[in-house]
Amino acid sequence: MEEMVMATLDLITASPHSSSSSSSSPTTDNNNNHPSSSSSSSSSSLCLSSISTRRTDLSTDLRLGLSLSPSHYSTPSREQRSSFDWPPVKSTLRCTLVEKSQISQFVKVYMEGIPIGRKLNLLAHHNYHALVKALANMFRTTILCPDSHQLPLISGNNVHVLTYEDQEGDWMMVGDVPWEMFLTSVKKLKITRADRC
Amino acid sequence: MTHSGSSLPDLPNCTSTAAPMSEIRSPPPDRVLEIVLENVLHFLTCRRDRNAASLVCHSWYRAEALTRSDLFIGNCYAVSPHRATSRFRRVRSLTVKGKPRFADFDLLPLNWGAHFSPWGSALADAYPWLEKLHLKRMSLTDDDLNLIARSFPSFKELVLVCCEGFGIPGIAAVAANCRLLRVLDLVESVVEDADEDEEVMDWISCFPDGETHLESLVFECVECPVNFESLERLVARSPYLKKLRLNHYVSIPQLYRLMHRAPQLTHLGTGSFCASDDVAVGDQELDYSSAFAACKSLVCLSGFRDILPDYLPAIYPACANLTSLNLSYADVNADQLKPVILQCHKLQTLWVLDSICDEGLQAVAATCKDLRELRVFPGNTREEVEGPVSEVGLEVISQGCRKLQSILFFCQRMTNAAVIAMSKNCPDLVVFRLCIIGRYRPDPETHEPMDDGFGAIVMNCKKLTRLAVSGLLTDQAFRYIGMYGKLVRTLSVAFAGDSDQGLKYVLEGCPNLQKLEIRDSPFGDAALHSGLHHFYNMRFLWMSTCKLTRQGCQEIARALPHLALEVIDSQEDKADDHIEILYMYRSLDRPRNDAPKCVTILQ
Repeated sequence: MEEMVMATLDLITASPHSSSSSSSSPTTDNNNNHPSSSSSSSSSSLCLSSISTRRTDLSTDLRLGLSLSPSHYSTPSREQRSSFDWPPVKSTLRCTLVEKSQISQFVKVYMEGIPIGRKLNLLAHHNYHALVKALANMFRTTILCPDSHQLPLISGNNVHVLTYEDQEGDWMMVGDVPWEMFLTSVKKLKITRADRC
Repeated sequence: MTHSGSSLPDLPNCTSTAAPMSEIRSPPPDRVLEIVLENVLHFLTCRRDRNAASLVCHSWYRAEALTRSDLFIGNCYAVSPHRATSRFRRVRSLTVKGKPRFADFDLLPLNWGAHFSPWGSALADAYPWLEKLHLKRMSLTDDDLNLIARSFPSFKELVLVCCEGFGIPGIAAVAANCRLLRVLDLVESVVEDADEDEEVMDWISCFPDGETHLESLVFECVECPVNFESLERLVARSPYLKKLRLNHYVSIPQLYRLMHRAPQLTHLGTGSFCASDDVAVGDQELDYSSAFAACKSLVCLSGFRDILPDYLPAIYPACANLTSLNLSYADVNADQLKPVILQCHKLQTLWVLDSICDEGLQAVAATCKDLRELRVFPGNTREEVEGPVSEVGLEVISQGCRKLQSILFFCQRMTNAAVIAMSKNCPDLVVFRLCIIGRYRPDPETHEPMDDGFGAIVMNCKKLTRLAVSGLLTDQAFRYIGMYGKLVRTLSVAFAGDSDQGLKYVLEGCPNLQKLEIRDSPFGDAALHSGLHHFYNMRFLWMSTCKLTRQGCQEIARALPHLALEVIDSQEDKADDHIEILYMYRSLDRPRNDAPKCVTILQ
């Protein structure tokens, strides 16, 4: 799990601009009508936020903010700022509020073998690690992610992997693309048995 | 420093040519005066007074150092632990602050510093009688907490605010070993999760059996479940417990039981304030308001972490006596708030979410005539055109709550007129922090910058010591601050100003400025240079994403040798000399050696 996140992070830190699909750039520096997700500030602070995680576990350094709306991505530039460190609200309060506010992105989650699914708010989590952890708790199972080091170890039927259906209807492994890109393309999640993949 | 014998009054058993015998019996003349001085200085509690006294002469310096029992270290890197413990030998209570405030918003790299360990070892050596430790924005490990737990047999109070790096095992060590513990307050701290496969330790059951000395137990920020039976037993055997703030794993039926066990509570953090998942709603509904009626001494309520607004009326019996109410985690609207707030006549402190809207603020203004502190937090942090609170709410509050001293107000829109009105209606304002979420946003009515509003605040609020500005601001706003903000000690600036002149106004005009935090504003080296005369008087200066260069900072470092300039940059080679973050503070000791790679300390 950690290895997967590391691999993803390496990908992200190597090319800070690769994360988001481009779309209309927001008008900068002028008052109203900033699109909801003004993205990260200059690339240097992208790398900076890779080291500014509060916890010792890893999280993606491309925290483009909780106020995401899929159509408003743009490549980071110096004028654009992360809405994660603005306004100055502590992350403890901010995280609690995301769950309560209307800004949410609920997706259905099914586990193989269980007909009744659950729903999860993706925006309540900042990265793959948090998502996998939340799902592992919700479904009381171990969830692995694709990693060449771990594949030989998979056995038994209490080990699962996380997959998602994207906008084109294809089922993909979770974790290959940067978190923010994942959020724009995910439609539903499925926890499938590892030995089936 | 010696005193001439002739200036002393004739004291019994004391002559200037004392024989050895009488020297043993009575102290030498100069020492007598010191003892008198020490006795007098014991009465001085304010640290600023003590600092002044210590400057009178060497003997006052020594006497003051020996009698200071409360030591306050505003910046853990301003002085080394060794220097502090060498000077002050008899400290019982220590406060240490670490990271700058912008660390709360993740602007500082992880592992930046503020490690408690060096302080811990110094304290264990120097102050075995230590009773109180208050840490803010420090990084401390479970080992540090273990050290605290085992090194100080008289330990009574541990307060950790915005700290991180430790987990449940550390807390458990303190609970288990500090037998005289009265206060264990964990406030807004990040408590490391145990790994998934590890059992979460029940730290509550680590408190020793029998009656405890606990007066305050605050663990709202501890993000893991507590064993409720242990907690209930602990509360039942803590007759002195006055402050109890629960985390959101405590459900409302559990809260009910705890409150009936501890009717003497004065400060209560209610936990989730909703039913746990196991109990179906309506299933044996308890009369929660009876619990609030039973706790007749309640003056401060907080928590409401996952509140079901239907339960809010349970607090009615407590409202009339409440002086402090924190609903900042509670998504309640105006209609849900009104019946509560209309009963809170004595309220002095109110923290709410902007979900209450201007209408809710109106209700506050109508009832809470004694309000001193108001904080309105944003439920939605996106930059939008409209929001639930606005200049209407601010103006209404200013009209109704004339005694207001401190305000923190997040909003999407604000007018100069409303801010000016507040400056006139609330002359007692000491803290004014306005955060217009839309960056560079002008007054929506006049389309002017917000200069005049903030100008009025510094002009009319003569007691103002803390100011945070936002919205579209030109250098003129800073000119006002420099002209009128003579008592301002803390200033926060973000996305504001036109040129170096803005910062110059402030650095040249505000003699009491101690803490300056600036982000994303166009101030450069020339502006920084204009503060050379003042930097030794400041606790710190923070500037991030401004126009500073390494060269400019180097010049400052050369000019002021006792200033530590930390340049924090994430990229190694850069095309230009511009730096990301400058964190600058005065320091009596060598630059620290525990900084991560991305931090360069200029000398």
